[in-house]
Amino acid sequence: METSFALTGKGYVIIAADTTAARSIVKMKVDEDKIKELSSHLLMSYSGEPGDTIQFAEYVERNIRLYQIRNLYPLRPAAAAAWIRRSLAESLRSRHPYSVNLLLGGYDIADHKPNLYWIDYLGTVVELPFAAHGYGSYFALSLLDRYHNPEASLEEGLATLKRCIEEVAKRLIVSPDRFKVKVVDKDGTREVEL
Amino acid sequence: MPDTTSLDHPAQRAFNPYTENGGTILAIAGADFSVIAGDTRQSEGYSIQTRYAPKVFQLTDRAVLAVNGFAADGNMFVKKVKQRLEWYRHAHSKDMPLRAIARLIQTMLYGRRFFPYYVYNILGGIEEDGTGAVYSFDPVGSYEREACRAAGAAQSLVQPFLDNQIYFKNQRPAHNTSHPVHLPLATVLSIVIDSFTGATERHIEVGDGLEIYVVLAKGRGLHGLEGVRGVQELTATDDGERVFVVRRELKKD
Amino acid sequence: MNSLIQRYAGSSAASQQRRNVSTVDDDDEFSDAMWGSEAGFGSLAKGVPSFMVPSVPDPAAFLRLHTDDHADPSCKIKIQHGTTTLAFRFQGGVIVAVDSRATAGSYVASGTVKKVIEINPYLLGTMAGGAADCQYWETYLGMHCRLHELRNRERISVSAASKYLSNLVYSYKGMGLSMGTMICGWDKTGPALFYVDSDGTRLKGDLFSVGSGSTFAYGVLDQGYRWDLTDEEAQELGRRSIYAAGHRDAFSGNTCNLYHVKEHGWDFIGNYDITTLHYDGPGNVSGSPGHGYGYEIRVEGQTSANPPEVVAQA
Repeated sequence: METSFALTGKGYVIIAADTTAARSIVKMKVDEDKIKELSSHLLMSYSGEPGDTIQFAEYVERNIRLYQIRNLYPLRPAAAAAWIRRSLAESLRSRHPYSVNLLLGGYDIADHKPNLYWIDYLGTVVELPFAAHGYGSYFALSLLDRYHNPEASLEEGLATLKRCIEEVAKRLIVSPDRFKVKVVDKDGTREVEL
Repeated sequence: MPDTTSLDHPAQRAFNPYTENGGTILAIAGADFSVIAGDTRQSEGYSIQTRYAPKVFQLTDRAVLAVNGFAADGNMFVKKVKQRLEWYRHAHSKDMPLRAIARLIQTMLYGRRFFPYYVYNILGGIEEDGTGAVYSFDPVGSYEREACRAAGAAQSLVQPFLDNQIYFKNQRPAHNTSHPVHLPLATVLSIVIDSFTGATERHIEVGDGLEIYVVLAKGRGLHGLEGVRGVQELTATDDGERVFVVRRELKKD
Repeated sequence: MNSLIQRYAGSSAASQQRRNVSTVDDDDEFSDAMWGSEAGFGSLAKGVPSFMVPSVPDPAAFLRLHTDDHADPSCKIKIQHGTTTLAFRFQGGVIVAVDSRATAGSYVASGTVKKVIEINPYLLGTMAGGAADCQYWETYLGMHCRLHELRNRERISVSAASKYLSNLVYSYKGMGLSMGTMICGWDKTGPALFYVDSDGTRLKGDLFSVGSGSTFAYGVLDQGYRWDLTDEEAQELGRRSIYAAGHRDAFSGNTCNLYHVKEHGWDFIGNYDITTLHYDGPGNVSGSPGHGYGYEIRVEGQTSANPPEVVAQA
């Protein structure tokens, strides 16, 4: 099952998503990157209906880029979240709604705050200090209630993320074996190895 | 156009021996008394079958049982409990203690685990140590001793009111005071009456009449009961616990 | 007492279960024992419990139709559901912690349920699934543990007790029983913990959590668990894990009941209101963090903002 986690820390957001692309009972790919870098300081993980996920993520990616080209500055995370939510809400009311769940993590260079938005295919947006999608959330949310620290350094944040991944590996029947982890902070986005 | 579906597939009717007859019951335990009450309306769907069908029954001088849910099952169940208590009386020359009645009810309900009595039981009375007690049951016999419990159609209306008035949930005591652990009988009686008039206003299956049974511990005076309109004593023996019933009218629309 | 022992002697209860499911008619067959209190356990007059079953082709389907509120929320007979229970073995014994909420559909039917069943002074059982199933069969198990003592002049092992329960419920498989329980105790082998459910599964283990909130409890429990936990740390972990489940799972909550099984038997440690745990913590107990468990309470005043020094000075 698809699982993604995200958490904020002192000046950063970490997003982790599993790397399996499954079709029926078959693993089609084991190193799929499901976290897009939407702009210099914006990350988005996506999961849900195969096909919809990539189509929608690319649609978002291009529109965020278009905004930046037209206006010579990028959307702030809050604005990006609002725009993405509206896109999903409109899609939901169309004939073929995208069924895509997202975690949007951004670093707002204007007020130096990391922002994390949990977004589901119905167009629900919540800003949270930590978030998760998929079955992994049933194990990780209580763990993060206990261990998450909003002022944690990146190393501490990654250690907490590691706890989540290990917990899911321990308890979830069909647990993903690999996660891709990306970070966004004042210096931009980058991939990190756990 | 005739309905042809029944011709294509022989339809199997589900065996449904249950119905829901409305009404609400509640019980509250005090320090040395117990109050068990129920309305007397019996209905099915939107029709009232009778305005007087008792749901609260005196079992012994120290135990009163209220049953709610499917009236036919409830009446049968009370009959069987009373029979078992009579047998006990013949074998032991005494009434079964309250906690034993509670366990008896559990095993009797659980004996029908695979064909349940559709009844919610609340047992109230006096324990052997003289304290007021309330036991509440689910239809298949899980039970617990509590201080107060509402069941039936208006359970979700009455229980939050009791939580607030009996357990003082979501209330903060005034400065330098504390909430009483046990309420006096007069207060409990007025809470019971208010519960039922309230439930009658807001629930269509509640109304017509109200029967409040009061069980007093051995040697306890009447205090709280004197001056109450329409009290009737039901005690069978002297020098033991005493049982009373208070009957009141509820709105009939 | 002799007649009581005789009645049970040599009867392998499990093998007789199947035969003791009576149909409608012979419900009124009472033995002489029913006259007094001798039979004690109600439907036990014949030595093993007997149950009345509706005379329909598929009794289990009948039961499901009228009692399964998951499949049909409008079904009439609502059996209480929804739970978080956990138990774990460690150096100092077994910790057992449970919540106290019972739900019927979305209604909170009770917030004061005792989900730890005190089978006897050295055996505990937990309650998840059907409340009545757990209460009844674990009480029944308690009777048989006592009979084992009388027959064998020694206490039953936790392993044997749990196997007895497992065989018992397995004999009713398919009839609609629902229980997920942990049998905890201390015997010759030391602290012991077994998971038993109505499917017939029986597992020996160090750490289990059962119920709708179990995943949330596991999330905290697994991360804090070590064999060499001190008594205080272990009790705190049990409490904290039930809090986590009460906080995240809507079907769990109200209060946490905490037990500790040691060599001399079990001790009741305490009852903790989950809302109080959230805001104020467990109070003045060893192992307490000294503040509320709630995330918002724990991180109050902290911020993820990371303004550069220069901005801060300006």
